[in-house]
Amino acid sequence: MDFMIISLLVYLLGTVTLIWPKKAELGAHYFGMLCSVVASGLVVFSTLRYLLTTDNNWLIDLAWGSYTLQADGWSGAFLLLTGVAGVIISLYAIDYGKGYIGSRIRALSGLWNLFLLSIVLVLISGDAFTFIISWEVMALVSFMLVYHESEKKKTVSAAYQYMVMTHIGTAAIMVAFYLVASTAESFSFVDMARNNLTGYMKDAAFLFAFAGFALKSGLMPLHIWLPNAHPAAPSHVSALMSGVMLKVAVYGFGRFAFQFIGMDVFWYGLLVMLLGLISAFLGVLYAVMEVDMKRILAYSSVENMGIIFAAFGCGMVLYSMGMPMLSVVAFTAVLVHAVSHSFMKGLLFMSAGCVMHATGSKNIEHMGGLARKMPYTALFTLIGSMALASMPFTSGLVGEWLTLQSYITLAQQAGSPEMRLLVVFAFILLGLTGATALGCFVRMYGIAFLGRARTHIVEKAHEMPFFMLLGLGMEAFLIVFVGLMPDYLVNLMQRVVSGTGIAPMGNPIGIIWGGSGHYALYSPALIFIVFVLIGVFMVAALYRSSTFVTKDVTWNCGTVPTSRQQYSATGFSKPLRRAFDGILNPKRRTTYLRKEHAYFGRKLHYELSIPDLFNDKLYKPIQQMMINSSSSFHKIQEGSVSIYIGYTMVAMIVVLIWGVLL
Amino acid sequence: MEYMMTSIGLSLVQGFVLLLIAPLVAGIINKVKARLQKRQGASIFQEYFDIAKWWKKATILTPYTGIIFVVAPVVYFMTSFMAATMVPGFLQGQFSMGDAFIFVYILALGRFFMTLSSMDAATSFGGMGGSREIYISVLVEPAVMLAILINSIRYHSTTLSAMVIDYNEAFFTVSTVLACVAFFLTMLAENSRLPVDNPDTHLELTMIHECMTLEYSGKLLSLIHLGSYLKIVVFLTLFGALYVPVEIPLALKVLLGAILIGIVETLNNKMRLFKVRVYLGAAIVLLLLAIIAE
Repeated sequence: MDFMIISLLVYLLGTVTLIWPKKAELGAHYFGMLCSVVASGLVVFSTLRYLLTTDNNWLIDLAWGSYTLQADGWSGAFLLLTGVAGVIISLYAIDYGKGYIGSRIRALSGLWNLFLLSIVLVLISGDAFTFIISWEVMALVSFMLVYHESEKKKTVSAAYQYMVMTHIGTAAIMVAFYLVASTAESFSFVDMARNNLTGYMKDAAFLFAFAGFALKSGLMPLHIWLPNAHPAAPSHVSALMSGVMLKVAVYGFGRFAFQFIGMDVFWYGLLVMLLGLISAFLGVLYAVMEVDMKRILAYSSVENMGIIFAAFGCGMVLYSMGMPMLSVVAFTAVLVHAVSHSFMKGLLFMSAGCVMHATGSKNIEHMGGLARKMPYTALFTLIGSMALASMPFTSGLVGEWLTLQSYITLAQQAGSPEMRLLVVFAFILLGLTGATALGCFVRMYGIAFLGRARTHIVEKAHEMPFFMLLGLGMEAFLIVFVGLMPDYLVNLMQRVVSGTGIAPMGNPIGIIWGGSGHYALYSPALIFIVFVLIGVFMVAALYRSSTFVTKDVTWNCGTVPTSRQQYSATGFSKPLRRAFDGILNPKRRTTYLRKEHAYFGRKLHYELSIPDLFNDKLYKPIQQMMINSSSSFHKIQEGSVSIYIGYTMVAMIVVLIWGVLL
Repeated sequence: MEYMMTSIGLSLVQGFVLLLIAPLVAGIINKVKARLQKRQGASIFQEYFDIAKWWKKATILTPYTGIIFVVAPVVYFMTSFMAATMVPGFLQGQFSMGDAFIFVYILALGRFFMTLSSMDAATSFGGMGGSREIYISVLVEPAVMLAILINSIRYHSTTLSAMVIDYNEAFFTVSTVLACVAFFLTMLAENSRLPVDNPDTHLELTMIHECMTLEYSGKLLSLIHLGSYLKIVVFLTLFGALYVPVEIPLALKVLLGAILIGIVETLNNKMRLFKVRVYLGAAIVLLLLAIIAE
């Protein structure tokens, strides 16, 4: 009996909590989480067993009428990250979910299992129908999860916005499937690979598929649902949505790019690359401006998905230039960064949940000094923040480094001035993105966890219960493990990429993790050992000496500092806001509340909003256009029944005349 | 394995050698500035005395700070040291533990912790410095990336030792000269020197790097200063080895580079904070032209 099937059944069993008796809510929650931990564990187990053996069979191969379940290495890579995230986030949810006792916790647990089930089904579906059905279930279930805290007005609007956007995406994907399947005359993925799409139809299929999957993964300009939906959902749901669901879109896009459409057209890759790069930079630029912890993380997801698609596009361009061996590096970067982003974003959304649990707020302007109240959470969050700023010794740098390597490869192949310019553009954006990401997470961590408490909500903060810390700790461990010994993950993912058949197995540019040669290399473990050895020596020297450490209040020009004198998060990002004001268009409004004191002691009210560029410039006009066009229809749709009967009669007469004349 | 151990050993020795001469180079820069300003100036060995003095003094910690505040200077110093073991030049052979990107990200790790620590002392000063440091680093990063790009296109590798300038191939071409000028501009910004930052003052209007370290004292302060001096030497070595297209010994290049920094710092005022983007934009355009001309 296949473990994969068992895991699907266990997920299904977990949805029983939906009809669990209301008296035993807590039991339902425990049962649901147990099911999802066990089932996700089975997914990890069976996927690893498949990926580590060399024989190239299917991971799962089942047919049931025209519905097929088939999974190869490409699915396996994503199943692995789904399973790992499933186990860890479910463990975290054991304690975190208790906050929802009395507010539909049974539904939360049941839908949680259904969500994971639908994600796994998307990844293992072997034909277009199964894919679309599971995709739709995934979209609906995630909508319901986003909608869970429906008492809040913002949640409702975010959920409906998500619903509309995701269905536009699904429609585009359905068209793409239809275009591919119509020439292949089959809906099975294996047969669809043998399609003979050409010319405009092929371009159309590519564009629809890219639009659909880009929307689901939150690439700009299709990202507007993401920064609203992720903060609205319960934290463990946002962790799963950001950590896993966005990657499922990468999986789907890879399916199309590798198997159905091919990558031999140059501009396909170029388009993916440019949108990826722009999303990466703009995503992080909006992230560094936000003060809502979860919105920071949501925009950072846009950034990281941008990096993933930038690497994907680079691979496609290299492939179309006739260098499949070199493109392997880029596709490996895609998978490695996808896995590592699922670790770090899972971790940080969970720790945002911890902060909300402790303080009841998401706004970092109200925090400060949390590290003293919740030291373990602070440590794990620091590791996650370092990873998202792609610091050495974390998994974040591994994906980032591979991406940079693939772009260097592209640069070395680029002979013409146009290609050179393109590469320069890419490096400028990657550099800006990297440095802004550092600033973004320094700011988030520094404002929330360091310094002194800015408001009283921090005073009641406390350390988290065991399972929540366990979830954070497991993700942090994985981040550091991959960061120090990346070869396991990178080799595994490189084998997956070779398995998709784009290039034979091999070590294309010689990524050597610690060795000699004229190649790119990175040996984090070695650096870390030297770093720690000398660092420990330094710290020992610091503490050994006879001079003493005094405690004294921070120097503040002779006055006693208050906690309000600390830099605020908004102030911290002010120079960047000013440097990029052409893009951000910040709207400021200062009002003087009391006129009687002209200069001293007057109260100011300062408002700052940074509207999303695409929301204002793209979506609002479209929305306005739709409203205008429907109001022009309004003239002939008065709502009176007699007019409609009149229309019907006119239509009838026209049809009769038509029939008589022809 | 034996080769690897020898190489690591040599890298570490290089790191220590650069660490030893780092205060001297900083002293030379200060001496040049003093002489150009018609002052006698302190001895070129003054920085050694300063570091020894700080090391002997007591460390004052404010009650608001946590562990990050103590860890940050150590990490900052260590990242400079690791960068010193990685630059090509004196003893560094073919082997290295990371390539040019890792070099950049190791230094970024130091910046990450320093900016974090700037917020830990809970005053406006620290946050101001951290915020500005982030702003400058966002503008510097693209220039650094392009500087790496140009040599890696030329020598088909991103390993620092492979990117060392080859005088037969690149002797005073348009591309090398442009890259040389641009990297010098970038280097001044990266090391918080004039005209981007002023290393001499503690005035809150001008300071960036000094402002982040305002709350430090004693041993922790000496570590930060040592790290900063080391970072200048590392960048001067990198500048000499990778970007100066003139065939003279590397040690001489470092010395001349230090003197040049002194001259540039004397001739220029600190520019307004928001002018920095124009300054670094110029560096980026020069690098872009260099890449096209390559």
